[in-house]
Amino acid sequence: MSELNLNEDQQDCLQEIINVAMGQASDQLARFLDTFVYLKVPSIEQVSTLSLIETLSNNENSAAVVSQGFFGYEGIRGEALLVYKPKDSDRLADLLGYEPDELSVEEQIIDLSSILTTTFLNVFAKQIDNQMSYSAPRLLAGSQSAVSDHLAQQSFNWDLALKVKITYQVTDYSFNCDMILFIPELAINNIKAVIDRILEEF
Amino acid sequence: MSFSVLVCDDSNMARKQVLRSLPEQLSANAQLAKNGQEAVELLRSQQFDILFLDLTMPVLDGLGVLQTLKDENITPAIFVISADIQPEMQNKVLELGAKAFMRKPVQLDILNTNLKNHGFL
Amino acid sequence: MSPNDICTDITNKINTGILIIDNQYNIVFWNRYLEIHANKKTDDVVGHNLFQVFPELPQKWLKRKVESVFQLKSQSFCSWEQRHHLFELPHTRPISTNSHFMAQNCTFLPLERKDGSDNVCILIEDVTDVCHYQTMLNKTLEELAQANRIDGLTQIFNRKHWEECLEKEFSRARRYQHGLALIMFDLDHFKLLNDTYGHLGGDLVLIETARVISSLLRLGDLFGRYGGEEFAIILPNTDIVGALDVAERIRVAISKNVINFQESEIKVTASVGVAVISEDDNRYEDLISNTDLALYDAKASGRNIVCVAKQLVET
Repeated sequence: MSELNLNEDQQDCLQEIINVAMGQASDQLARFLDTFVYLKVPSIEQVSTLSLIETLSNNENSAAVVSQGFFGYEGIRGEALLVYKPKDSDRLADLLGYEPDELSVEEQIIDLSSILTTTFLNVFAKQIDNQMSYSAPRLLAGSQSAVSDHLAQQSFNWDLALKVKITYQVTDYSFNCDMILFIPELAINNIKAVIDRILEEF
Repeated sequence: MSFSVLVCDDSNMARKQVLRSLPEQLSANAQLAKNGQEAVELLRSQQFDILFLDLTMPVLDGLGVLQTLKDENITPAIFVISADIQPEMQNKVLELGAKAFMRKPVQLDILNTNLKNHGFL
Repeated sequence: MSPNDICTDITNKINTGILIIDNQYNIVFWNRYLEIHANKKTDDVVGHNLFQVFPELPQKWLKRKVESVFQLKSQSFCSWEQRHHLFELPHTRPISTNSHFMAQNCTFLPLERKDGSDNVCILIEDVTDVCHYQTMLNKTLEELAQANRIDGLTQIFNRKHWEECLEKEFSRARRYQHGLALIMFDLDHFKLLNDTYGHLGGDLVLIETARVISSLLRLGDLFGRYGGEEFAIILPNTDIVGALDVAERIRVAISKNVINFQESEIKVTASVGVAVISEDDNRYEDLISNTDLALYDAKASGRNIVCVAKQLVET
């Protein structure tokens, strides 16, 4: 299994790129929701896909998982998973400002996920001189078995994943979700090269 | 005329980014702080003319620093440089006494304009 | 051919609908695919308002969707799984599918025009086949799941599914501070009945009892076969007075029910235990064992009787 093996400077640089991406994503989310989004320092963690599948299949608390593929230049591609807890997914309608009967919870959760994923990755890509395209987001069935089945298929040759824990607090609502980016080895090496390029400039 | 500068950010890269963007006479003797608490302690013990301040930080965040300095009547010129660019946040820091708000990653021309506007260049 | 000609050619031949609107929701462009499927004239479409040309569109929802694309400059999607279709277009499988309109996956793309104005491009894909097969698959899976929940003999919930229901109702009652009652009953001297009339007779009694009791219950009550000749009912939002009323009606209904089997008339009675959720119940199993103890009391007190869980009698 390959590893990211980021040294302190590289880790710091990646964290800063993600902070900036997160900041702009929150700004766009806040404008879209017409509210204020309180931002916490996002934590970044490298996880092995194997352990992640175990975590997700053991985690009885994950209510919904939305998957969306992304692809950019230079082999940077992957799959973003947004994992929600039940108590948070219940609040989505309030958060998104929809009337209760206007659209289903599934649709709301897919909409929000798509906004979070695409705004975050757009800014992320811009900072590393890249540009992203996306596939349609899909709600993987809420049950845990379906999620782990999906992961077992998808992560076949993807050893590593980058887990970005996002905590959004939206005015009165504390709203948490985990964004997990599955990134294949080639893309990870490429991101590392870009980080080194940025660091050299300093 | 020379000014004393403090750069406060939890990210090493962000601190370097600010230092690199500053003109030589400001960056040469600049001091660094890794979080809000460190910055406040430095500001209590010595006089600084300019503070570059990040918002999202561990231990004590940027808003906490602004509030503390206001309460203790410590008055460097504060320039906030943050990834959290929501208009509400920008208003909040200006209300708490910051001279200007700049988005990350900091842009050289914007930084210089702000320094000029406040008589540091 | 110039790249521009190639693009125009593809746009007109592709099996995907392309519709471009400006920020006033006026239609700027549509391709041949849409022209054919929507059966409208280009003159009546291009330059006109989207919602006037396609009045079937969910205006409020779509505006919010398009707004997000304009504002966030990021693509957005709408899958048939959430909305079967946006545009009322016919499909090419009128015989093999039962839906009236083409099932659609729509993509909303932000476009920045050369003159600096913003447009949104809506791509419309026909996924009627996907929708058809997925719907059939879901139906089959649902039937399988249903079969997994039902007791084959009595056609009420089996024990496994009934317990899962109780677990959910228990945590819901806890969370929202609602009442929750449990009734368990057991047919008296069932072994003797089996010995007298044979297993076919016994089975008929179980089937008939389940049928009679089902007709007594409210829609939200959850009725299951707990095991052998023991049955159990979850009564959400019910206090002890309501539960006792139901329990007594169950006891009477069973005792009055005459079951015709071959040349005989079979009569049975039941012993009934009742409990409601209390502060001391940490898990749903605690509620079951309280009810079970009440049922045991009913058996011990001579059968054909309703007993309430002890802690309720004392308070």
